[in-house]
Amino acid sequence: MTALGTGVAPGSTKPARTRRRPGKKLTFDKVSFFLVFLGVPVVFYLAFVVSPFVQAVYYSLTDWSGFSPEMNFVGISNYRTLLGDGTFMKSVGNSITLVIVLPVVTIVLSLVLASFVTVGGSSHGRIKGLRNSSFYRVISFFPYVVPAIIIGIMWQQIYDPSAGLLNGVLTRLGFQQFSSFPWLGDERTAMVATMFVIVWGFVGFYMVLFVAGIKGIPAELYEAARIDGAGRFRTMTRITIPMIRDNIQTAYIYMGILSLDAFVYMVAMNPGGGPNNSTLVMAQQLFSTAFTQGKFGLACAMGVVLAAITLTFAGLVFVVNWLTGGHEDITE
Amino acid sequence: MATVTFDEATRVYPGSDTPAVDKLNIDIEDGEFLVLVGPSGCGKSTSLRMLAGLEEVNDGRILIGERDVTDLSPKDRDVAMVFQNYALYPHMSVADNMGFALKIAGKPKDEIRKRVQEAAKILDLEAYLDRKPKALSGGQRQRVAMGRAIVRQPQVFLMDEPLSNLDAKLRVQTRTQIASLQRRLGVTTVYVTHDQVEAMTMGDRVAVLKDGILQQCASPREMYDHPNNVFVAGFIGSPAMNLLDVPVVDGGVKFGNTALPIPRDHLAEAGSRAIVGARPEDLTLSDDGTGLAVTVDVVEELGADAYIYGTSKTESGEDAQIIARVDGRTPPEKGAQIHLTPKPAHLHLFNAGSGERISV
Repeated sequence: MTALGTGVAPGSTKPARTRRRPGKKLTFDKVSFFLVFLGVPVVFYLAFVVSPFVQAVYYSLTDWSGFSPEMNFVGISNYRTLLGDGTFMKSVGNSITLVIVLPVVTIVLSLVLASFVTVGGSSHGRIKGLRNSSFYRVISFFPYVVPAIIIGIMWQQIYDPSAGLLNGVLTRLGFQQFSSFPWLGDERTAMVATMFVIVWGFVGFYMVLFVAGIKGIPAELYEAARIDGAGRFRTMTRITIPMIRDNIQTAYIYMGILSLDAFVYMVAMNPGGGPNNSTLVMAQQLFSTAFTQGKFGLACAMGVVLAAITLTFAGLVFVVNWLTGGHEDITE
Repeated sequence: MATVTFDEATRVYPGSDTPAVDKLNIDIEDGEFLVLVGPSGCGKSTSLRMLAGLEEVNDGRILIGERDVTDLSPKDRDVAMVFQNYALYPHMSVADNMGFALKIAGKPKDEIRKRVQEAAKILDLEAYLDRKPKALSGGQRQRVAMGRAIVRQPQVFLMDEPLSNLDAKLRVQTRTQIASLQRRLGVTTVYVTHDQVEAMTMGDRVAVLKDGILQQCASPREMYDHPNNVFVAGFIGSPAMNLLDVPVVDGGVKFGNTALPIPRDHLAEAGSRAIVGARPEDLTLSDDGTGLAVTVDVVEELGADAYIYGTSKTESGEDAQIIARVDGRTPPEKGAQIHLTPKPAHLHLFNAGSGERISV
């Protein structure tokens, strides 16, 4: 303090600077607060989240069989095996197809529906949704209440070539060529049919999420846009989407991670990976490698690859959002 | 630019029996500045929103120019609106906010830029065109909202309490700016406010609404000098007009210990009681003890003038508040007993039952 005061004339009103502000002092209160609220969670996190990760990475470098204590360190040979494994690479391809298609389709559909039930009503008079919109909102949420495994089994029954509801309806409508069409058993349709089920199961949920987002936008903004001449489509692209882009980003990441998994739906509808492995996904391949073939080391390597792809995906979404201006905080 | 006509326009909200706007009839001339004013819930905002197309019209018609717009959607009405909270698009820059409507209309980029620049120049916003609304002050946001309306060059401007989010000083400044801007652009404007000072200072004509019913639509001067009924008399003017329920006596009405002479045929209209109205500046202190006896409660000294807030015992024994403007140099003391008489030329007389004006 004296050093600081040397240049100051005596009697100067300039306040003396203290080296350490009182708020920075480490008191018992602070230390105990940090220990309890930061230390304890970190310990738990390390023990139950980080260590299994590290463990999995380690096992992926071994030939562990899962049910014996012996294992040999084999370096990156498991990863080499994966690269040369056509079935696994096919499953990676399928997973990537899912992560590209599912979030886009689901989010676009649910955004459109959410717009319709909130602001898509008559273009004249107050801003409101379509007539009976609350009814549609409830109905569309139903699939989300049904457990994934039930959805899978149910749709497997619907898609059944001879006894299924879908082919029954189609033949009744006169499309005789579908009388015994194997939707899940034909390489051309298996993946699309499966994706449809997942989209069907999640559209309602994301719709509710977006409805909540849209309800948070001041009605005057929509009124101003309406007076400015924006129709339904332009209102959605110019007002709704920019205003709820955080919700959309979150939804995109959730749906993407879910698509990279998709295990339950795939196992329920096509346990064997579909015709010519056309619906085989990484999680399925990982499961069978570990628990059927007993190659835990290799399965761990698959898990690491899956984690890497998931992280890359999330990173991509963030980067894209940032590049398109999402980092600007527009709230007042 | 166009005329605007409300023709028996009625709005009943679903689930309500009483209309929010009841058979509104107003003819607004081309280029006129009309102010809708009234207490909260009087239907002024609803009327404006009906004109904008943001509220349905249950009965009657609304015309812009010769066009019946009753069932048109807002985008087809060629109106621009300034909202109370401005409703700026937070994710767009000031320039994009102002040019949004033109962009939607598919105007070429050069023209949009040119018109935005012009409006920005008028409103002194040129330095802020690249900013987002978040980075603007309240007054600047208000100007952007105005700019968004000006750029459109619409037939009608609609303004829904555009000044109520500004601080008092800025409000007075902006008030003048909006009024002069409107005169310069010559665009028909409908302006909603709850502030009667704003209404009186800005409007070519003022329409007073109460409970969804139009009370009077006249120029500020006319409204001040000849209020149609007790409600308008009490609502317009600050401080408010003194309104006293008094008995009718032979040849006039009783006012304190004197009788104010009123022509006989007017008295016949009134019946046995009438409401007498006198503005604070139309009451004078009487030296001889005649007139209304008032006990002074508060004296508000404004320099040149002083306002006396006092109470007077009415016939029925209740206390009525009386406000009078007196000379600022010699105001009475607080607690003093004074007598006030009205200037006969500026006396207002209303029917005690209906509240309607009896022409004096």
